[in-house]
Parts: sequence; structure tokens; C-alpha cells
Amino acid sequence: MKKMLLTGLMLALSGAGAVKVGVLLPLSGAGSVSGQAARSGYLLALDEINRAGGVLGKPLELEFGDDGSAPAKAVPEFVKLVTVDKVDFMVGGVSSATSIAISGPAKQYNTFMAWIGAAAVPVEDAFADHKYFFHYHPWAYYNFEAILGYFKTLKTQRKAKNIAIAYEDGPFGSAGIDATIAAFKKAGFNVVMAEKFKTGSGNFGPLVSKAKAAKPDILYWIGYDTDALPLATEVKQQNLQLGLLYGTPPSWPVGFEKNKLSDNVAGLSLWLPSSPQAESRKFVAAYKKKFGTTTEEYFAPLAYVNLKSLSAAINAAGSTDKDKVAAELAKTNMPTPFGPLTFSKSLKTQYQGFKSGNWLHFQFLGDARVPVYPIRFAQKPMVWGK
Amino acid sequence: MDLFLQTLLNGLLQSGIYALVASGLALSVGVVGIVNFAHGEFLMIGAFLAWAASASLGLDPLLSLPVVALAVFGVGALTYRVSIRHVLLAPELNQMLLTFGLGILLQNLALMLLGGNTRTVSTPYQASSLQLGELTVGGPKAVAFAFAVALLAGLYFVLYRTTLGRQMRAVAQNRRGAQLIGINVDRVYLLAFAASCGLAAVAGVLVSVLLFASPTVGLVFALKAFAIIVMAGLGNLTGVLWASVLLGVSEALVQTYVPGGGGWSDAVFFLMIFGTLVLRSFRGSR
Repeated sequence: MKKMLLTGLMLALSGAGAVKVGVLLPLSGAGSVSGQAARSGYLLALDEINRAGGVLGKPLELEFGDDGSAPAKAVPEFVKLVTVDKVDFMVGGVSSATSIAISGPAKQYNTFMAWIGAAAVPVEDAFADHKYFFHYHPWAYYNFEAILGYFKTLKTQRKAKNIAIAYEDGPFGSAGIDATIAAFKKAGFNVVMAEKFKTGSGNFGPLVSKAKAAKPDILYWIGYDTDALPLATEVKQQNLQLGLLYGTPPSWPVGFEKNKLSDNVAGLSLWLPSSPQAESRKFVAAYKKKFGTTTEEYFAPLAYVNLKSLSAAINAAGSTDKDKVAAELAKTNMPTPFGPLTFSKSLKTQYQGFKSGNWLHFQFLGDARVPVYPIRFAQKPMVWGK
Repeated sequence: MDLFLQTLLNGLLQSGIYALVASGLALSVGVVGIVNFAHGEFLMIGAFLAWAASASLGLDPLLSLPVVALAVFGVGALTYRVSIRHVLLAPELNQMLLTFGLGILLQNLALMLLGGNTRTVSTPYQASSLQLGELTVGGPKAVAFAFAVALLAGLYFVLYRTTLGRQMRAVAQNRRGAQLIGINVDRVYLLAFAASCGLAAVAGVLVSVLLFASPTVGLVFALKAFAIIVMAGLGNLTGVLWASVLLGVSEALVQTYVPGGGGWSDAVFFLMIFGTLVLRSFRGSR
């Protein structure tokens, strides 16, 4: 009995004063593919951090909260983590809409946030004046910079001139669409079609008929995973001749790569498991060892890098003092599966991690996502359909 | 001209899937007299069962269709016994709240058990199409349209040419009168409600081939089915096909010819509900 009490006391004491990190993720709802992937990344990082001695000499603790992919659920969950669970730092954040919703409470409680997702520009506006906001994911304009760079290469190499744009009518697809069209035109492309669609409706017949009449070289669609198969099906059924069908959904449907209709469909990712970088190979091996499988979702390594860099900064700061940790995190220069991570200013925020140079363009080729651009990372030549 | 004809064809083909979803809803409204807000969730169950049969057993969705329809018929029968039956005499608001809650429950159960991911099936005929000159007829959508016509014809036959159908119509007209002449009203309601769920599952199987399976896939179709049954007249099965074609073609025309029309496609069915109700009240006042 005494021994049991002593063990209990020791465990309780070891937990006392431990650094607590709150993790807000979409573990359910529309964004759950990315959210669940991120959760795995955090768990892997937590194992490694605690095996290496923890943070400030104690095992690091994570408190997970599910934002349900909905702003209305995200706010109370965030407030609970900060005020009831009394976490020292907040990480996570995938959706832009939920991140905008919590910007108010984050400023109210002066919360330290090391944020992995939420790429929309309104999020940057919302956190522009927040002293402790570190953003890892490239902002939307960095994503577009990467896409434009790739399309310019296609213009030079494949004579791609005409672009048709299909965009969903919510904030994800519509925010900044005028600037996108203007940027394509400025780069010398003809934007032959720019059509809205209702995400999840699956009704792409009229849109593809219209695109067929416009004869584009590239069909660039900005939508969600629910739109991938219906659009690819309609393109094939109506025999729309394209050089490239290029999409940027936050995640792709489960099993899409096994479907023949995915062949040659192209997209954008921050990371692929086939990436040859040493840090990426190390991550893939560790992930496989822990979970017995691999992941293609880049939010897994992004979350992993997020927690590793934050814990390193806390250790370097020697305390949980926000100013000291922020100063240390700002100095970060670490190798990651995406390439080196450093923080510099973005258009409006102080601490931006990855930018446009970190994106990979891939194609679904032979049941897998294969990097095709930038050339130095390409594992196979790109398949151009014209 | 080709674009116009292709647009009409796109609308016609899209209307097949709308008619499939709406036929089940029309049955539950027409016979049982209950507006089933969970109809889209029964479609979702059908889509997930077809996906599961394809992913785990390698079974083509069209082959698994009878089993899936029967399974969801069973789920519908159970739902009727456990919940619907007890509110049949309750105020309509209570009935609506019950089916609305049922829909939320089923959707969240799917989210908890399967996550929010979109799941797709892969079939060799998914991208099949028939080329008619410059026009293209998509294979799976043509199958969905043929299914809708066949099922509506079958339903019409059952309702107007069989004893069960006569019983259903009698119950729909006058529940108490039907009871007095010895019809087992409870059994008729159970069969009608379960059949409406089975029809939603048939639509769900085709949706899994045409689109995907996900916890929220039924919502958009259920909303359009409500518009269709309002246009057709509540419970009017024969009007369902024409109302579906009208909705499908109108949406396609708006999407093709109205600038930014893709964003307006959902407004089309609200406009149709509005127009139909206004027209009916105008006629009624004369």
C-alpha cells in the first residue's frame, strides 16, 4: 500500500510544473483528414521529445481539442484549453474560418500561438497585430506564387496559353479570385473561363461543357476533395482535351489515387512521402515505426515540425516566459522534411515560416502522387495531355 | 447550338438522380404523411454501404444495389417502429423535429464512425459515355435516369395496380376510414416508410458511383428533393419526374448562360419552390 502511494506521489510530482501545450484541430467534420493527420504528427513528435528528456526537464503534455471544422465549436474549445486546462502554448489550427473565429479570444488572453494551417489572407489580417503569432504554413499568396511559377514553366515548355478556372463559391475558392485572374493575365495567359461552382453538388456537366467550348490548355480548379472525382469524371465523359487538370484541394478523397480517373490529375503539396530529403526520410521511417503505415497528408510532418520547433525554443528559453520563447522561436533554423525552417516577416505578420519555395507540384501517376516540379525534386517527367 | 443542346442534355441527365431521391420522399409524404428530413441520411447510408461493399469485397456498386436497398429498407422499418410510429398522431411540428433530429443523429454517427473523409469507388464504367455527334451522354448518369424512370413506373404500378397500392392510397386518403374497412394501417405505413428509405438507398448507391460517399452527401440532394415534391404537389409521384427534369434543366441553363451561374444553381430550386407556392396560392384565391 505504501509503495503504491509513493508511486502515485512520484507520478503526480513528475507531472507538476510540466509544460502544457493545447492542440486545436479539426478532428471531426469536413477538415478531419488534415486534422487527424496533424494529430498523428503531434503524437509522433511528443514521443520523440519526451524520449529525449522532455521540456524543461519534465515530460511535455498535450491537451487535444476538436474544433469540429466549425467556427462555432472552435471558440469554446479554444477558450476551454486556455482558461480551464490552462495550457502554456497553443498549437494546431488547420481551417482559416476557425482561425479567424478564435483570433478575438487569442488576443483577449494574449495566447502564444504556433499555428500550422489557415492560409487565407483574412487570417493574416486577423493576427497582424498579435505579438505571439507564429505561422508555419505558407499564406495563400505564397501558394499562388508557386502555382504561377509552375504554369509559367508550362507556358515556356508546353506552349500553355489558355487557362480555364473553376472555383467554389465559398471563401476558400472565391477569396482573391479577381487578383488570381489579374495575375494570370499579367503573366501573359488568356483566362478563357472563370466559373463558380457549388462545392459538393457534383454537378459539373454544364461547367465542363462551357470549358470545352473555351478550349483551355489548363483547367485550374479551386475546390474541396468532394469535387475531385465528379470533375475528373465529367472531363473524361465529355472528352475535354486538356494539357493539365490542376487542383488545389486541402486534401484529396480517400482512394482517389487508385481510381483510373485520377491519372495525370495534378496538384500542390508541401510535402510527399517520396521526398528524397534526409529529414523527410527520417520522418517517414519514424512514422511507419509508430503507426505501421505511411501518410501522404503534409499536415502530419507540419504538425511534427511545429511541436519539435516549439519545444526546442522553450528549452532554449529555459522557461515558459512568452517573450523569451518568442525570441528563441524567432531564431529557429532547423532542417525539416520540407527544407530548412526559419521565421521571417510576411506581408502583415512578424513570424512566417514556410513560403512559396517549399511547394511541390505532383501528378497522380500509377496509383501514387509523384512529384513532377520543381525539376530538382521531380521523380518522373510530367504527363502533358495535349 | 451544340452548347445549348449539350446543356439541355446535361440537365436531363442530372434530373435522373434528383428524381430517384425525390421518389422516396414523395412516397413518405404521400402515404405516411410525414416530411422526412432524414431522407438524405438514408441516401448517405446507401452510399456508404455501396462503398464498403466495393472497398472490402470488391463488389461493383450496381451488383450490391439490391442488397443495399434491402438493408436500408430494414433500417427504415426499424426507424419506423422505434420512432416515426409514435409521432404519427402528434402535431406536424413534432414530426418534423423528430426527423430533423434523426438526420443530425445519423450524420454525426457517420462522422464519428467513419470520419469526414470523402470516399470514392472505382468502376470501369465510371467515365463511360456515348458520343452522339458533338454531344456526349455520360454513362452512369444515363443509368441513373433509366433507374429513375423504371422505379417511378414500378411505383406507379404498385400504387395503382396492386392490392397493397390500393391500401396505401386508401390510408393516404383517410386513415380512419381505411382502418374501419379492415386495412392494417400500421403495416401499410411501415412498408411505405421502409420503401421510401430503400429508394433513398438506391439513389445513394448511384451517388457513390457518380460522386462520392461522405457523411454530408445526402443534404444537398434532400434539399432538391424537397423542391421537387413541392413542385410536383406533395405526394404526387407522377409529377416527380417532370419536376425533376424542370429543376435539372433550369439549373443547367443557369449554370451555362448566366454569368457566375454556378453560384446561382442552389438559388434555382429555392426560386422554384417560391414560384410554385405563389402560383398555387394565386390559383387558390381565384
